[in-house]
Amino acid sequence: MDELDPVIHAQARLRIMSALSTLELDESISFPRLQELLDMTAGNMSTHLRKLEDAAYVDITKTHKGRTPITYLGLSKKGRRAFEDYMDTLRSVLGER
Amino acid sequence: MNESQDDDAALEPAAMLALMQNQQRSIERQVNGFVPVITLGWALTWLLGFGALWLIDGLRPAFALPVEVAVWFFVVCVLATGALSAILGIRSGRGLRGNTAAAFTGTVYGITWGVGATALGVLGAAFRAQGMTAELANFYYPSAYVLFAGIMYMIAGGIWRTVPSLIAGAWLVMVAAAAPFFGYPHHYLFIAVTAGGAFLALSAIGFAELRRVRNAANGGTSRG
Repeated sequence: MDELDPVIHAQARLRIMSALSTLELDESISFPRLQELLDMTAGNMSTHLRKLEDAAYVDITKTHKGRTPITYLGLSKKGRRAFEDYMDTLRSVLGER
Repeated sequence: MNESQDDDAALEPAAMLALMQNQQRSIERQVNGFVPVITLGWALTWLLGFGALWLIDGLRPAFALPVEVAVWFFVVCVLATGALSAILGIRSGRGLRGNTAAAFTGTVYGITWGVGATALGVLGAAFRAQGMTAELANFYYPSAYVLFAGIMYMIAGGIWRTVPSLIAGAWLVMVAAAAPFFGYPHHYLFIAVTAGGAFLALSAIGFAELRRVRNAANGGTSRG
């Protein structure tokens, strides 16, 4: 538990995980809204989301609103747990626990 | 924010912790930043709207606002602030998809506003049909609606766990119940000052909190 999870331990991915952690359980957010809130480019955010998805930390749901495809993102149970573990480790590294 | 930097890299642990906290605050501010604006809108509606109703007879003989002007002004204030609340609320919720239970709660809550407000209007008309005088109606309508709004704020506070909403609601309920004791037309002034003042204070607290969050998100690392 002393290793900082390398999947989360990168600025862009920590920002994405932090943003998603503010959502309620089972809540999700559309790709463009998250992009707007984080002020990231679409390409950059996609790259990092892919890494989070590969680790099964993020649930990605593709759906349609009328004819427009929309992608919704949210933390998976595994992702939420990983984020909490990451915070615990970070705090213990900093000597807060 | 920091697109140009190597955002695949990590910072020092302390900086990563600060980055995480600042990001969460920034999201919070962007999603909920509209709430003090709406509160300010309602503060002005209570103050000016009920203030106008008071001015129909409140400053006689020095000044008298025509009834039609006062009532229309009041209605326009309420409708405009209601529309502003709805628009800002919807804008802030765009791109967010809640679970079905939360969506059900929100929908029921929204419908309850409409059903309750309509029923109070019908009830008032029914009372009038049974002989309630115009003088009594002057007390019934404002107190009924302020009471209802107060109860709805209290319920919202309970559902979404927002203490300011709970307190504002309880305050409105007391204001509505006490208002008729002040007699016509001063009960209008009483509502304007007490309800409007409370909402002004509430929005000031909200704006101060936003400013605190914004300062923290812009680089404060120690607080949180």
